[in-house]
Amino acid sequence: MTDTLEHAGSGIVATGVRRAFGDVEAVRGIDLTAAPAEVTALVGPNGAGKTTLLLVLATLLVPDAGHVRVAGYDPVHEPDEVRARMGWSPDVFGLYDNLTATEYLTFVGEAYRLGRARARSRAAELLEQIRLPEYADRPVHTMSRGQKQRLGMARALVHDPEVLLLDEPASGLDPRSRVELRELLRALARSGTAVVVSSHLLGDLEELADRVVFVDGGATVGEHRLDQLPTSTAARPWRLRALDTDKLVKALARQGYDADPPTPAGVDVWLVSDEAAAELIAALVRDGVPVVACQPLGGALEAAYLELTT
Amino acid sequence: MTGSGIATVARQEFRLRIRAGRWRLLLASWFGVLLLFTGLLRAAVGGYNDNDITDKGVVLYGGLMLFVLGLALLVVPALAAQSVNGDRERGTLATLQVTRLTAADIALGKFAAAWGTALVFLALTLPLVAYAITQKGVPLSRTLVVTLVLAALLGTVCAVSLALSAVLSRTTTSGVLAYLAVFALTLGTLITFGLVTAMTTETYTQTYSNACPTDLPADLPDAQRAEILAQCGQPQTSTSSRARTDRTWWLLAPNPFVVLADAAPRLPEETAEQRRAREEREARGEYQQSARDLDPLGSIGNAVRDLRRPPADDNTGGGTAVLSSRVEERKPVWPYGLAFDVLLGAGALLLTTRRLRTPARNLPKGQRVA
Ligand SMILES: Nc1ncnc2c1ncn2[C@@H]1O[C@H](COP(=O)(O)OP(=O)(O)OP(=O)(O)O)[C@@H](O)[C@H]1O
Ligand SMILES: [Mg+2]
Repeated sequence: MTDTLEHAGSGIVATGVRRAFGDVEAVRGIDLTAAPAEVTALVGPNGAGKTTLLLVLATLLVPDAGHVRVAGYDPVHEPDEVRARMGWSPDVFGLYDNLTATEYLTFVGEAYRLGRARARSRAAELLEQIRLPEYADRPVHTMSRGQKQRLGMARALVHDPEVLLLDEPASGLDPRSRVELRELLRALARSGTAVVVSSHLLGDLEELADRVVFVDGGATVGEHRLDQLPTSTAARPWRLRALDTDKLVKALARQGYDADPPTPAGVDVWLVSDEAAAELIAALVRDGVPVVACQPLGGALEAAYLELTT
Repeated sequence: MTGSGIATVARQEFRLRIRAGRWRLLLASWFGVLLLFTGLLRAAVGGYNDNDITDKGVVLYGGLMLFVLGLALLVVPALAAQSVNGDRERGTLATLQVTRLTAADIALGKFAAAWGTALVFLALTLPLVAYAITQKGVPLSRTLVVTLVLAALLGTVCAVSLALSAVLSRTTTSGVLAYLAVFALTLGTLITFGLVTAMTTETYTQTYSNACPTDLPADLPDAQRAEILAQCGQPQTSTSSRARTDRTWWLLAPNPFVVLADAAPRLPEETAEQRRAREEREARGEYQQSARDLDPLGSIGNAVRDLRRPPADDNTGGGTAVLSSRVEERKPVWPYGLAFDVLLGAGALLLTTRRLRTPARNLPKGQRVA
């Protein structure tokens, strides 16, 4: 994997996508663009239509309406062109029993028409990349959930796609694997891949994504660069810690702040802005409270999420 | 659709099958049952002494092949009946569909794996077939044709089972329906033929006249003599009923047993030399039953060909001369049946491909893609 923009693809453009299942309108007007060399997060509550949208992008479902281009091709009329350039990993997927990881990845490589020899060397490469080389000759059905998830990730990368669609890739991963996944996706983005990740792990996304698309009730409700998230006007929780918690609680009460009951982690106070936080710290210090920490709970992404979705 | 795509899917399916099942046990019991059957059949045609029947191979081979067909019809539906919806249930189908394999690659690859497995079962019968041939009388052409037809019929069953697994979302439903489809082809055609034929029963009027006897006994009373002479020479009519199987024979044609038996080339006529040898033996008082009369394939085939013949309307009390001249008119039934079965299989493969095509516009109710 080189860190250069070696293939400047055209990413994903989807506008006004609609898709119903019978009388359930799963997607009713989603817009999403994902540029090459960027990670785009797809965020929204359960049932918002994220998986359905990804199925449309992955050439599995015909949209009822809307304009869709994946890697510059139409998934409905040119699915093979799209498939040659797109990798997809579903939220839940099965693996074949009684197959080793190498055999599995080699088979997928052949299905992507890499040729037997190339498919085999690619399998070894990928197992190294997802840190499962010791599973090369072990049957995949004995793998743990997280290991399977990683293998599924490798599966989607077999043919070196220029567009990568991942549906909740981090669910079930241990903390270290999540960090590694993040690094892997960042590296892929640096090398020019357009990455779309649907996830509920907002903390992870905050460190991973360049852009975020919020969906709710089957429609896009916001599309932002991560460093330009809308600033919220609603109060959000900040966590305070002091050497003397009692003193902190009393001081907060005296100054009329809206604080939650103290927990071992600290005391949560609802504040409307960064300025309000600065004011509070100054006031506490004046009061002689030994404050050691004051930080917003949940990132800016979580704040925006709570603001935009219902 | 590409050859390498089909091969990729077929190889994968084959590998999964081999690793998943207890194949050794299954193949061993298949062979064991057939061995037992062949042994018993051989003992049965042995007769009082082993020379009672000539050309025992004809009986052994025919019986064995019909039995193989029956047993295969019990085994083969299971080979493909959960192929597509099983993958869907396990969540491995969609990840296959997003690769560059086409719907036809997947459908034909799965079919090839199932059919290939069925042919392995068939290949296992070869030693027994070889033994049957050593028992004399089986023409080579018959073994070739029967093998090909048997393979084609098993292909049809595989294709139909596969289509059911693609159309139905539940593996249990498709499993049961695959066996029902086999039932429909075998017993179903027979039952339908019987019931429909009963409806075609018609009454017909036959006109005949008896020649006047010239050698009436002299002592016959005059009254009786007069009565007989009055009736003879006059056209008489009688009314009876008959089933018009010539209108319904085609209902039996798709039956795999009918196709197999009728497609088997008939045994060659007795040569003059054989006839002389037989007559010499019979002159010595050694009677042997000819396998020609016991040929299981030929007799089923002839029976269905007879059904196809229209009744002779000029029924002038048909003697043997009339019957044997009409044997020549027996027209084959199997081309229709085989064509039907092969088209059925091809249609099933087409349907499977359509059901596997993505992106999908319509999903069966309540089914998720992934
Ligand atoms: N095949 C289907 N048939 C009927 N309804 C469906 C089907 N697939 C999805 N839906 C419905 O469409 C809506 C959106 O589902 P989807 O799976 O896209 O949500 P999601 O955003 O991925 O949710 P989650 O975060 O829980 O994964 C849901 O209400 C779901 O019940
Ligand atoms: Mg989902």
